[in-house]
Amino acid sequence: MDRAETGVDARTRRGTGGMPLAMLLLPALAVTVLLFGGGLALGVLQALGYLPGAGLTRLTGAHFIRVLSDPDFFLSFGITLYVSVVSTLLAAGISVIAALVLDRLAGQYRPVHFIFQLPLTVPHLVIAVAVMFLLAPAGLLARIAVAVGLIQTPAEFPLLVNDRWSVGIILTYVWKEIPFITLMLLAVLRNTGRDLIDVGRTLKASAWQRFRHITLPTLFPALGAASLIVFAYTFGAFEVPYLLGRTHPMTLPVRAYKDYSDIDLMARPEGIATGLLIALVVAAAVVIAQALTRAARRRGIVI
Amino acid sequence: MGSLVLKDLAIHYDRQVVVEDFNLAIGEGEMAALLGPSGAGKTTILKAVAGLLAPTRGDILIDGRAVNTLPPEKRDVVMVFQKPLLFPFMNVAQNIAFGLKMRGDGSERRRTAVSRILELTRLEGLGGRKVHALSGGQQQRVALARALVLEPAVLLMDEPLSNLDANLRQEMRELILSIQSELKITTLFVTHDQSEALMMAQRLALLLGGRLRQAGTPQDLFHRPADPEVARFFGGGNFFKGRLQGGVFECALGRLPVSAASGNGHVRTATIRPEDIQLTLDAAGRPGGLAGRVVRTRFEGTATRAWIECDVHEVMVLTAAGELTLGQEVRLHFPPEKIRVFPEDKASE
Ligand SMILES: Nc1ncnc2c1ncn2[C@@H]1O[C@H](COP(=O)(O)OP(=O)(O)O)[C@@H](O)[C@H]1O
Ligand SMILES: [Mg+2]
Repeated sequence: MDRAETGVDARTRRGTGGMPLAMLLLPALAVTVLLFGGGLALGVLQALGYLPGAGLTRLTGAHFIRVLSDPDFFLSFGITLYVSVVSTLLAAGISVIAALVLDRLAGQYRPVHFIFQLPLTVPHLVIAVAVMFLLAPAGLLARIAVAVGLIQTPAEFPLLVNDRWSVGIILTYVWKEIPFITLMLLAVLRNTGRDLIDVGRTLKASAWQRFRHITLPTLFPALGAASLIVFAYTFGAFEVPYLLGRTHPMTLPVRAYKDYSDIDLMARPEGIATGLLIALVVAAAVVIAQALTRAARRRGIVI
Repeated sequence: MGSLVLKDLAIHYDRQVVVEDFNLAIGEGEMAALLGPSGAGKTTILKAVAGLLAPTRGDILIDGRAVNTLPPEKRDVVMVFQKPLLFPFMNVAQNIAFGLKMRGDGSERRRTAVSRILELTRLEGLGGRKVHALSGGQQQRVALARALVLEPAVLLMDEPLSNLDANLRQEMRELILSIQSELKITTLFVTHDQSEALMMAQRLALLLGGRLRQAGTPQDLFHRPADPEVARFFGGGNFFKGRLQGGVFECALGRLPVSAASGNGHVRTATIRPEDIQLTLDAAGRPGGLAGRVVRTRFEGTATRAWIECDVHEVMVLTAAGELTLGQEVRLHFPPEKIRVFPEDKASE
């Protein structure tokens, strides 16, 4: 082994192997680009008012302008941002703690690991329904609260679904996204973190100093990337707020869906325009996540 | 600066015993090497000294004080690992200053100490570099600098050069030696490379299978190996069983005069290093010795390794004597003082 362990080496190795792989993937890539790119192009056309079926053939930015000049749009934008930022921050914070605990438990408690990964496999919709049964005014928690005498009637139970603060939506997202972020963090801790922590200990860093100056900076790129992905998902997801959200203000994805499926065909371009604006935010988050990941890999942090 | 004593150390992972009955004493300011093949338990011992692993039994004393119960951050010991393990999110100077910062040194003090150590490790001008923009040798020097800057009582190095190419390795050995002799930090240097251990260490300990086989000066281990296994680890060959009686070792090769103290006729093993055997090309040059025929050769640059068949026994010789051809008749001379007869028969060949 005459090779220094540097990220540079790993990069060149990946680089040389990359070309043939891209060739192999070409057919699949072509289909994806065609379907996705084509769909996007059609979407843009429709958002610009090109709807031959409804007799609209003139391209116009009016739909975008109408969407953006509707005060309700900003209310929707606000609630969407609120829900995704709060659930992402909560999930990220809990995940850091969970990853540290799981790393400490190491291989000793495999079942813990397994239980932890379960939410990954459950669709959002199912979790949303479960949350509904659990938190609804006549739901399980309300009944239990009555049964143990905490409240007199289920009606006294605080409103946690279709509520002002979107508690139900946020809980669903937090529960669902914690395992995703935690597992990404856990991989970093196992691959890079433990060795660096040992180095830190011999360099006289206290437990808090190791967390503050080694663990957090090591986790940061993965935490940032995973959080951005979760943010992008929650910002663009439709089913959970549709089920657990209030009817006004709606989140952006619900609004886009409502407009798009409106019987009034004229509302359709506005639905798509909203969808494209959502896509813009989501794409920006994903691009930043990618940049974070790449920068970390260049520094030799395994993500 | 401090002394390091390891007393009856035993270490195990789960239920597997990895190190047992390990004893070693390193004096103040000494450079000691722990030598052993891969998997012998070298890293395990270093981690125990650093405090990253708790020994099952035994004591670790620094300056005579047992440190067993102290966590790594409270021990006056710093470890340099096999991989540089630099903090990827810090530049070179920040990496080096890390320990000082954790200790609470002010920024002015850190700056002075870092610039001094950058010079010492020949990294001047690289303080602002990102660590992933450094070569492997530079990275390992930063790791060394990061440890040295704390001026620990004991410095541990775990095969710090094994990832570097041969030329660089030689350069780094010289650098480490010159720094060590300047700073006089008590150092325990781990390596699997016997020539590296011989050249770097003032004291040398050989670890085989988790047990200390021999400790002493490099000359002790090289010239006076405790048993055939130690001899073999240092490139020895030619082990013969026989009986020592009255200054003569009687074995299958014949009666070889030796300078060892006279034995009592019990079966013992003797050895002679391949380079200590003198090979002459014809009887005219020098009478006596053992007649043999060249059966195999291997050119090794400064010398040629040759296998000589004497009767039915093969003897391995390392010689500078010109070119040998297969089947050539040669004579071998065994200088009595170069034959080592092991204390008691341990050879289980
Ligand atoms: N974390 C561990 N768990 C269990 N066994 C280990 C662990 N680390 C090392 N070992 C075993 O302990 C022995 C000594 O390992 P090590 O100290 O790393 O050897 P060396 O550094 O001399 O190559 C090896 O047999 C190795 O497989
Ligand atoms: Mg090792």
